Parts: sequence; structure tokens; C-alpha cells
Amino acid sequence: MGRRKKRRNALLRSETRTAYLCLIPSIIGLIFLTYIPLMEVFGLSFFSWKGNGFSGFKFVGLNNYIRLLTTDPYFKQSVLVTMYYTLMAVIGSMIYSLIIALLLNRKIPARGFWRAIFYLPYLLPAVAVYLGWNWLYNINYGLFNYIINRVFGLPRIGFINDAKLVAPSLALISVWLAGNLIVIFLAGLQNVPRSYLEAAEVDGASSWQRFWFITVPVISPIIFYNLLMALITNLQVITPALALTKGGPGSASRFVSYVMYQYAFENRKFGYAAAVSVMLFILIGIFTVILFATSRSWMFQQGGDDNE
Amino acid sequence: MNKTSSLSGKRNRERIVNSVCFVLVVFFSALCLLPIWWIFRSSLMTNNQLYSNNVPFFPPDWLFSNYPQALKNFPFWTYLKNTMTIIVPSVLAGTSTAVLGGYAFARMRFPGKRFLFTLVIGSMFLPVMVTLIPLYIMWTNILKLNGTYWPLILPYFCGGGAFNIYLIRQFIMTIPRELDEAATIDGAGHFRILISIILPAIKAAMIVVALLLFTQMWNDLIQQSLYIHDAKKFTIALGLSQFKGSLKQDYSAIMCATCMSFAPGILFYLMGQKYFVEGIALTGLKG
Repeated sequence: MGRRKKRRNALLRSETRTAYLCLIPSIIGLIFLTYIPLMEVFGLSFFSWKGNGFSGFKFVGLNNYIRLLTTDPYFKQSVLVTMYYTLMAVIGSMIYSLIIALLLNRKIPARGFWRAIFYLPYLLPAVAVYLGWNWLYNINYGLFNYIINRVFGLPRIGFINDAKLVAPSLALISVWLAGNLIVIFLAGLQNVPRSYLEAAEVDGASSWQRFWFITVPVISPIIFYNLLMALITNLQVITPALALTKGGPGSASRFVSYVMYQYAFENRKFGYAAAVSVMLFILIGIFTVILFATSRSWMFQQGGDDNE
Repeated sequence: MNKTSSLSGKRNRERIVNSVCFVLVVFFSALCLLPIWWIFRSSLMTNNQLYSNNVPFFPPDWLFSNYPQALKNFPFWTYLKNTMTIIVPSVLAGTSTAVLGGYAFARMRFPGKRFLFTLVIGSMFLPVMVTLIPLYIMWTNILKLNGTYWPLILPYFCGGGAFNIYLIRQFIMTIPRELDEAATIDGAGHFRILISIILPAIKAAMIVVALLLFTQMWNDLIQQSLYIHDAKKFTIALGLSQFKGSLKQDYSAIMCATCMSFAPGILFYLMGQKYFVEGIALTGLKG
């Protein structure tokens, strides 16, 4: 008995050693690239620092936050712009990707080929995408005004040069880039048991009822996952501002991340920019918590089998 | 009699629905490709044609000679080489460390497992933008690596991303444990099992992870622009931004450069496509 126990302990110890050996890279990453920087950004936000050596730190308490929320000329609008953009990008890409995934889930010829086409935009380097779309949105010679003006005879639209339209125009690009959501939805749809659908059909359920009462509950965890990831990604949006609009026209595409970038790397106000980072963290946190809290009411829970 | 006719009616209706869906798929994919077509068509035209009042849908003559012309000012091959210098080691390292991590979480028992796994999952929801400044300070002021590729590569030697570890773990958990147990009885250790049983079975998941890591770096602009300043070291993303700034209205050349930078990602995807979709489907992304 005792000997067997000892042997088991030795086995467990060797397994622990192997496990930690495998996890060393991940643990280093988690500590030094994720959790310590996260604490540092909170710490830094209470200081004023110009990036000039470590003697230049000056403790300013809550001043950075107070300035951000009162006199800052960009911050408040950037939050609104980011939320406006995110709302459109998330709703648009969720609806688009779900519709395409449902269509691709039918029996259609050459499914892999069509799936590849919808996935394609996701594989193009972001900078090239924004440069390309900049040209597509050109008021005189772009694709969209070709369609609007040439084909339909409607007045031309300024798109990203129009302060009112720049956020929706950028959101449209984000919808176009949603190929990864389509692939994930498609994977989820393939998990919907055919037998349920057939049984419901025999019982006389219409195709809408089958969709709403069988397909949606089964894929609801995937809807949740896609929604969460789309939300987190879009709230951090910066590349379109960096590559294309520089926050303009005016401040109509000056997203929170871009405000942070400008304060840190153009004005070298690192402490102040860290406060913007913390506010972004809180903003994303609020949306994440809301999503998790409401998910209980609409997400269908299957008997959990892989809780380890 | 009645029953069979209603059944064949149902089958007919399904056939009609499928045809309608097919037409819609063709229509939407045409819409999806339209932007790429317009960019490509613009790369084959002269600026005079691009800026003429009579905007053509098809290029009047297909000027493939625009490409060698654009290459004179846009050193695509240098940029591609630089980008690959970052991406290849990062993808290899990121995939390997994700496999090791996922393997430990899926198959081993050790103290602190639940806590570590929670940390991994938690970091999945942490916005990378929030840690941009402290990481910049670490790479620049403490490690003095600004101006090199290390700040872009080294993070991938550290775990390869929480989502990827999770994906690999989910995938390994679908492999029957009996296989490992049989190998253990035959005297195989953990690493033997990993190499001879697990790795062959998770090939698809590894390709998914590699492709995800690739697109992540491929789409990056902010990190690259923070750490690389020397034009000789520019990546495709940086080269394109600078090219656009220097040319302003020469859209014929800009569209050539854009089309060139589209190509590598598409090639990489075509090579791994079969495994890629299979991989996402098999993991099912549940849990």
C-alpha cells in the first residue's frame, strides 16, 4: 500500500515537472507580457512622465484622470466615436457573417470555393486593405461612387472625407473583413444535429421555427463567442486611423486607442496616455461584463462535459 | 399516395430553397470580390485613365507593365523578406509553445493547473492596446531593443497567445486517452507521446494556429511602426504606408503595390486551406 502510494507520488511529481517545463514559455509570457504590464499601466497613470529616463517620474495622483474627464479636448468625443463605430461594425459583421454562414451551410455546389472567397478579405494585410478602400471611396473615381452615380444616378457621397460618414464607412470595411466570423459560425452550424431538425420537420415546424428554436439555441455559445471577440477587437480599433484617416475629418475617427497613441508617441506624455489606456480597459470591461451578465438569459447551456 | 406526394413536394421545395441559396451565395461573393476587382483593375491602368471623367469598369488595356514600373520605387521583395524575417520564427515559435502549453493543460495533472488555466483564459479577454505603453517602455527603455525586430518576435516565444493554447487544448482533449495510456504502458514518456501520438493527430489544429499567428502579424501596423524606423528594415505594412505618403495621387502605382501585398497571404491560405477549415470545425470552439 505505502509503496504504491509513494510510487504514485513520484509519478505525480515527475508529471508536475514535465508540465511546468511545457508551460515555462507561457508562464513567462503571462507574467511579463500580460499581467505585469497591466499593473504597470495602472501605476503609470498616476504619474507624469515624458519618457526621459527613470528619474523624470512625477507623482500626480488622480490629476491625469481629472483632466481627461474635464478639459481634455479629444477624449470624450473619442469614446463616443469608438462606441458608434463599434456598434455598427459589430452589428453589421454579426448579421453579415451569420447570413453568409447559413447560406454556405446549405447543399450548394463547390462550397469550399465560395467559403474561400468570403474568407479572402481577412487574409489581406490591413494597411493594404485601407489603402485600397481609400481609393474605392474616392469621390470622383472610386468604385462606390461609380455605382451610386453611374449606375443609379444618385448624387456622389464623400464617405471617409465626410465627418458624418467616416465611422460608418470604416465600419463597412470591418464588415467586409469578417471572414473569420463566417468560418467559426459555419463550424458551429455543422454541429447542429440533423436529427433534431428532421424531427421538428416531421412535427410540422416551419423552417423559421426550426431556425429560431433549434439552430439558434445550439449555436448560441458561438454567437456569444463571436459577439464578445468582435466587441473587444472593434473597441480597440486603431489601424484605420493610423493608416488612413489620422483621426479625421476633424475628430470624427479619432478613436480612443488613437488618442492614446497620439498622447504617448507623438506628444510623449506617457503617464497621461496610460490613463487613456486604463479608461479603454474600463470601457471594454463594462461591455464585457454586460455581455456576460445578459448571456445567462439568452445563451443555451448544454450539459457541461468539459469542465476540468 | 397522399403522403408520397407531400414528401416529393417537400423535396422539391428543398431543391428550390437550395437553388435560391446558391444564387444568393454567388451574388454575395461577387459583391465581396468587387472591391478586390476594382483595386486590381486600377493597378492595370494609367493615371490618366484612372482620373478620366469617363470612369471605366474594365481596364482599357491590361497594363501589366505597371508592376515592374512600381517595383522600381516600391522594393516589394525587400519588404517581403523583412516581413518574413519576423513572421517565420514567430509562427514556428508561437505554434510550438502553444502546443506545449495546450498539451500540459489537456493531459497532465499538476498543482496550480486550475489557477494557471484561469490566467490563460483571462488574458484572452485582455485588450492588447491597454498594455501597449508599458511594453513599449520595457522594450525601449529597459531592454534597449527599439529599432530591432526582437520586440515583434520575442513575444511569440512566450506562449503563442492564450486563444491558441486553448484551441490546442480543446483539440487534444478530443483524442482518446486510451491511446496515450497504451503508449505509457509500453514505456513511452510524455514527450514520446506528444511526438508520436498527439502531434500527428493535431496537424489540422497546428495549421489553424499557424495561420492565425500569421494573419495577426500580417495585419499589424501599430507594433511595427513603434519599433522599426529604418527604411531598410521596413515590412510590407510600413513600406505601403510610406509609399502612399510619398506618392500622394499616383494611384496606379499605389494599387500595384497594394495588389502585390495581397498575394502572400492568399498563397499561404491556399496551401493550408484544407486543414484550416477542418481544424476550426473539429475543435467546434465549445467549452
